[in-house]
Amino acid sequence: MRYHLTRFALATGFALTEHGRNRFAMVLVILFVPLWTTLAYLAMPDTPAHMRLRATGETLAPHGNELTEISGALNAVTLITGFMMFAATFSGNLFDRRLALAGYPRAHLVLAKVTALALISAAVAAYATAVTCLVWTPRQPLLLAAALFSAGLTYGALGVGFGSVLRREVEGMFAIVMTSIIDLALQNPITSSGADNPVMRYLPSYGAMQAGTAAGFSTSPVPRHLAIQLTWFAGAALIALMGFRRSTRSALYVNAQPPEPVPGSGAPSLPAPRRTAVPSASASDTEAL
Amino acid sequence: MEVRDVHHAYRQREVLRGIDVLLRAGTLCGIVGENGAGKSTLLKILSGELRPSRGTVRHGGRFGYCPQHVVLNDALTVRQHLRFFQKAYRLADLRYAEEVMDVLGFAGYADERAGVLSGGTRQKLNVTLALMHDPQVLLLDEPYQGFDWDTYQRFWDLAVRLRDAGRSVLVVSHLAYDTERLDELWRLDGGVLRPDQAVAA
Repeated sequence: MRYHLTRFALATGFALTEHGRNRFAMVLVILFVPLWTTLAYLAMPDTPAHMRLRATGETLAPHGNELTEISGALNAVTLITGFMMFAATFSGNLFDRRLALAGYPRAHLVLAKVTALALISAAVAAYATAVTCLVWTPRQPLLLAAALFSAGLTYGALGVGFGSVLRREVEGMFAIVMTSIIDLALQNPITSSGADNPVMRYLPSYGAMQAGTAAGFSTSPVPRHLAIQLTWFAGAALIALMGFRRSTRSALYVNAQPPEPVPGSGAPSLPAPRRTAVPSASASDTEAL
Repeated sequence: MEVRDVHHAYRQREVLRGIDVLLRAGTLCGIVGENGAGKSTLLKILSGELRPSRGTVRHGGRFGYCPQHVVLNDALTVRQHLRFFQKAYRLADLRYAEEVMDVLGFAGYADERAGVLSGGTRQKLNVTLALMHDPQVLLLDEPYQGFDWDTYQRFWDLAVRLRDAGRSVLVVSHLAYDTERLDELWRLDGGVLRPDQAVAA
């Protein structure tokens, strides 16, 4: 058990360190979230927008600026988590492969990445919810946070997938931005007359948008739509996992598994220069399980 | 390490056309070849990064691989790299790694992030990550790129010491420098390995 825990904890700590040192992402989190959501709230008219919320069947008339603010918060959270996970995957692909070939268990690396993604998504979602609550009062703030969190998870997993298959950084950035724009712009009744189209339910953040809108303007719980969003996350994560497995596999017949620990040998030291060498056949001192 | 009849092609372009290598314990070998001869493809196959179109590669024990291009995580410090690979290799401590760092002369950079290190120091860490578990078979692809003369000499001293202690060391390079230090030298040419005259003589 200690074997698993130490490797998982170390990989998680280093994954978070890596994200924390992505200064541009930190600036985006601190500035972009309040800027985008507040501007959406202030710049859009507060005229009521009549819409039918599929999640509850209710007909609502939320203020246009509040509805746009939710869409803006979703846009900010998804772009940030997508960008952070893409950047980490894109720059870390070869390093992960080297670690895996050296014997680091891949399952622990994957779990560490998922844990880091969950923590980042939770932090950004909580921050965006807090910013929202400063400007206006959604009916169900916790549900809003949950909707933002699940959308962040989904785009984070998409970022990992893009990071595994795309060859240039600009391609990944473009893919994430375009996915988020198409996804959210089509669903916003203010900007899209087709927001009631059945095609919408197949968009990547459909569940989160429905849950977020319900959180803002309804008192009904919408667990099914959160579940839809988590299903999207599971699907995106599965594709990302397949990409990770493919890029970190070993082609060797022997030694595809980690090197065998050799118990009982003394601490290894560099062999001395030839004249004074006492050639040692002892293997490296290794950690017991 | 035993390599038998390894072939590899990128689409129609055949790069390796039947490579056989038996790397015995306690030998220091070199493979040279011109740019594009397939040296890095061969090392990727030997290290398990790439599956050959045909043929087999078998390793008899712990092995270390130093890729041609530095593979590090720029956000992590030198010490964090060592701790990560300590867990990968299941090492009880980092004494051996620290000795390697001393030999290569960059022990003072333990708390620096890889992203801010000079090219030569990054390469030293790249080599250390391949060496730190005292591998029985060590594959090094252009390992001394960016090294200054002093480090270059110390690198070769280290390689010779490892050979003398019974390890197998295979160095791949595009230039046949220091062939007198090698027990065997092969030239990769036309997709096959041939003994190089410099050492065979």
